[in-house]
Amino acid sequence: MRFWHRCSILLLVASALGFYATSQAQQAPPPPPSWQQGRPPALGDSPLAPHAQPPAPLPAERIPVDKIKLPPGFKAQLWASGISNARAMTLGSKGTLFVSSRVAGNVYAVVDRAGKHEVKVIAKGLTQPNGVAFKDGTLYVAAISRILKYEGIEDKLDDPGEPKVVIDTLPKDLPHGWKYLAFGPDGKLYFNIGAPGNIVLPPETHANISRINPDGTGFEYVARGVRNSVGFDWHPVTKELYFANHGRDWLGDDVPNDTLHHVGGRPGFVPHFGYPFCHQGDILDPDFGRGHSCSEFNNPLLKLGPHVAPIGVAFYNGNMFPAEYKNRLFIAQRGSWNRTQKSGFRVMMVSLAMGQPPQYELFAEGWLQGDQFWGRPVYPYVMPDGSLLVSDDYAGAIFRITYQR
Amino acid sequence: MGPGARERMRAIPSVLLLLGVLVTMGTPTGGRAADIDAGRRKAEVCAACHGPDGRSTNPAIPSLAGQPTLYTHWQLILFRDGRRKDPQMTPVAAPLSEADIEDLAAYFAARPPAPPRGTVDPATAEAGRRLVGVHHCDSCHRPRLDGQNQIPRIAAQHYEYLLNQLRGFKAQTRGELEGTMTSAARPLSDEEIEIVARYIASLP
Repeated sequence: MRFWHRCSILLLVASALGFYATSQAQQAPPPPPSWQQGRPPALGDSPLAPHAQPPAPLPAERIPVDKIKLPPGFKAQLWASGISNARAMTLGSKGTLFVSSRVAGNVYAVVDRAGKHEVKVIAKGLTQPNGVAFKDGTLYVAAISRILKYEGIEDKLDDPGEPKVVIDTLPKDLPHGWKYLAFGPDGKLYFNIGAPGNIVLPPETHANISRINPDGTGFEYVARGVRNSVGFDWHPVTKELYFANHGRDWLGDDVPNDTLHHVGGRPGFVPHFGYPFCHQGDILDPDFGRGHSCSEFNNPLLKLGPHVAPIGVAFYNGNMFPAEYKNRLFIAQRGSWNRTQKSGFRVMMVSLAMGQPPQYELFAEGWLQGDQFWGRPVYPYVMPDGSLLVSDDYAGAIFRITYQR
Repeated sequence: MGPGARERMRAIPSVLLLLGVLVTMGTPTGGRAADIDAGRRKAEVCAACHGPDGRSTNPAIPSLAGQPTLYTHWQLILFRDGRRKDPQMTPVAAPLSEADIEDLAAYFAARPPAPPRGTVDPATAEAGRRLVGVHHCDSCHRPRLDGQNQIPRIAAQHYEYLLNQLRGFKAQTRGELEGTMTSAARPLSDEEIEIVARYIASLP
């Protein structure tokens, strides 16, 4: 008994010393900048880094809209320009198109003035206000940790006044903290809370898609294990949620794929989509994957290509395009930086049919010419007349795509 | 400088302008071609604090000479929309037009950078060099700390200015574009901030 008592004291002392030693040794090294996090030492000399965001939009006369290539019968026009860092779009009930931005910090309103599209800045100096959604006369704006609302906005575009706060308790992390914002068929506001880094074990509160009631109450998770989704939409018929996700960086030029996912199953069940343990449904992460199997997680519906950067997705529910376009999903791909040969810089489309594998085809390309790009398509938006708007956050413009037989 | 040399100096901006027109695709130059001569005229008001030619002699005020175009451009936008705040700069930036900002950014980018700010003892230099490596400053500011795109040239910047910026980032009161510096400054101790600022100020 005495012997064991002594032993246990010794063990206690030893483990305390051990703890002290590790806490000294584990003075964690400062993390590199977010974009570089997870880069293996062997790639220390890699010249790859995110492309700089231009601080000003391209003037209309320097936007080569004729370079955009589309299927026969389709045509692209420059619909609006001078919208620095134009990102997500939502249409007001009186015809105002609201446009978000990310680093530019602005929210814009595009109004029709006798056939010309006039751009007004209705909010500025916000922190990455990437999410915009409109309902019952009110514009909702998601800016990292806050969701704001501008009531009766279309009647006071020249003086919107101070917004009201819907919620301001979301995580403040900036890496992958910018949000897509949309109303679901259930009338709730959906948004993403991305992983706060390239490849990290995220806190319970991060790497998900979440929703709240429009008054800010009733927060709940909808999907987990989602690294960064800044585009989702609901199928016009099944009303189920589909989202695009950005895969991690620095695993190589060809892996992992960015992915398209589908949230199905029983109501109330919150599926896990694999991050940070499993990528693209079949690659275990070299660090976080140990002890896991990809079969623990929901597989992607479709691999979209490595590093293509799928931003916005939109189901086509209009009547202008040919009949086979009905319920197709458009995916705007902003284009790669973490890849030797650039990929993406295009708009793809996905046809979904019960019991068949999804069909994945090119819709629009031409933003990338050789190794140079002049613009980056980010969000598709279906207008009431059936035309498709595509925003470009690099050229600072919106294109309108129409079809004529 | 002889008159011939002055002529050549004057010719440089127009060559740059021509290049700017030729290289349009894929270069984030923004809107219309910036006018460096207009920038020089518009910068006259800046000289009172930032020094002639954007080489500041006031230790609390940064040199703008040789800053990357995108850096100055973005910072003036941040001052104008209130994301970066400063008692002097906020009112100066408020009335600037897009063209003003473009011209000023292009003008300062074309000025030769200021010389290093004094020297440091070998121990501080060694400690500073180590901190720059450990804290990944060179990842974005590049190995010579001369900046690129929206990232500023910090080599040869004033010690006091660098000190104030790093303290501001650490206290989360210094506005920036994407939060990179707020994250980078967090693990630095007050003493480390002083060392790294002294070291960077001494670099050419």
